[in-house]
Amino acid sequence: MPLVTRNIEPRHICRHPIPSNIRSELECVTNISLANIIRQLGSLSKYAEDVFGELFVQAGEFAGRVSSLGERVDRLQVKVTQLDPKEEEVSLHGITAKKAFKSSLTQDQQLFTRPSLPMPVQDTYTYCDPPPPLNQLSVYRDDGKEALKFYTDSSYFFDLWKEKMLQDTKDIMKEKRKHRKEKKDHLNQRTLNPRKIKTRKDEWERRKMGEEFVVPKSDLMNSSEGLNGSIGSGEGFNSESLELSTNSYAYDPGSPPPPPGPDELPPPPPDMACSGKACQHAESKPPSPSSPQCFFPEQLPPKSLSSPCTSSPSSTFWFWDSPPPSGFDTPPSPPPFFSSSAPPAPPPPPSMSAIPPPPPMPAGGGPPPPPPPPPPPGPPPPPFESSAPRPPPSGGVTACSAPKPQPEPVSDARSDLLQAIRQGFNLRKVEEQREQEKRDHFGNDVAAILSRRIAVECSDSEDDSSEFGEDDDWSD
Amino acid sequence: MAGQEDQVQREIHQDWANREYIEVITSSIKKIADFLNSFDMSCRSRLAKINEKLTALERRIEYIEARVTKGETLT
Repeated sequence: MPLVTRNIEPRHICRHPIPSNIRSELECVTNISLANIIRQLGSLSKYAEDVFGELFVQAGEFAGRVSSLGERVDRLQVKVTQLDPKEEEVSLHGITAKKAFKSSLTQDQQLFTRPSLPMPVQDTYTYCDPPPPLNQLSVYRDDGKEALKFYTDSSYFFDLWKEKMLQDTKDIMKEKRKHRKEKKDHLNQRTLNPRKIKTRKDEWERRKMGEEFVVPKSDLMNSSEGLNGSIGSGEGFNSESLELSTNSYAYDPGSPPPPPGPDELPPPPPDMACSGKACQHAESKPPSPSSPQCFFPEQLPPKSLSSPCTSSPSSTFWFWDSPPPSGFDTPPSPPPFFSSSAPPAPPPPPSMSAIPPPPPMPAGGGPPPPPPPPPPPGPPPPPFESSAPRPPPSGGVTACSAPKPQPEPVSDARSDLLQAIRQGFNLRKVEEQREQEKRDHFGNDVAAILSRRIAVECSDSEDDSSEFGEDDDWSD
Repeated sequence: MAGQEDQVQREIHQDWANREYIEVITSSIKKIADFLNSFDMSCRSRLAKINEKLTALERRIEYIEARVTKGETLT
């Protein structure tokens, strides 16, 4: 049951036993009620003073902030008038040597702790029965913990969360060290296979003899691919898309993706219709249509240039199979200038499905082999992978928004934290106690630091080369 | 007997008057309490809005200061 913040004291003014030796009881009751009313007024005025005091303190803080802001604005004003556009730093050195601007984001922390209780509620707590004095027994404990903590501990959940965060940071750092090691080993063992540069030469050479003779190469792909979706859809689109692609070859690949968006929807329905028929035909006669079908992935690169074409193949792919979207996804990616048009057509859903299908995909198709899968699924998987470790920490962060720790905010812990934790790692085998003490010293400013660390870890999956180069020295 | 009844009646009347008086006072106390609560709430909401605006302004000023300073230390 929630506690009332300010309880005006004599709740019932008339419920007071009347002394027995009174003659005029009605007057007695009246007088008692009036006395209680006066007591109520007294407690009311006390609480009013409390309310206005809290508001006054807050308003005073804001007044201080406003005045400092005003001063800063004045100084800026003066500075800006002194600015001379000709004097601006143009040297590269000046631009690169400057520290990048980072706005200081202050996070609210330690909101619902014992010390932050409003005074009236603290008074109410003092009215309540105190917990039993179990701390007198802590002298007899072997493990040095406070005995009262086993009965009631207001900082329990916060400590639990803190431990979990520290553990998570250690685990993630270890994982990354291992990843780094594995990658380095792989790199050392085999020579780097740089991505093959996708050129159109191949296609144009095949086409120069006449479009009808484009068939032969697709036969090679057909046997290895065996993707029904691509088989069916290839046929319907080849003629249209080839024309469209050749017509729109001048289409600017660098143009932003959004404009193609609305255009994508109208083409699909008619294309669906003809592709549907083509699909049936294709499946009935595997050999001849198989040629254009498997040629289709090859055709995808030129088609992807024209936005309506990209939409139609992608939409049909979606309707039939999940592998085809991945098949569609991977080929357009390698040629760098397709990246702009490819992403809008197959947004996240096919990219997600791209993760299981890539194994079958590389089996077929010469030019679009494994190297393509890394680039486009590149951006999706880091959020995909990091989403897995993220739910627990984010759940921990959001759920434990109401921690109740001991009242010891430490302000100087930030710079010492990393060093202290590192030393903590080294000390793990030697002395656990020292590590514990250091952790206690961090106090509970750690909350902000911990939540930031988790955020840093999640982003670390993308770029942690320099940071973890040092970690090799610490490995156990 | 009638005198006593008069007396009782007078007492009862007086009691009713007293009770009305007490009722007026208690209802005013309740109004004061309501006023305090609503004043507190509205003040807190306004102060929170001011807080938001202040933090937004502070961030903007930080940014502008960073843009304007050419490598010199911020005074």
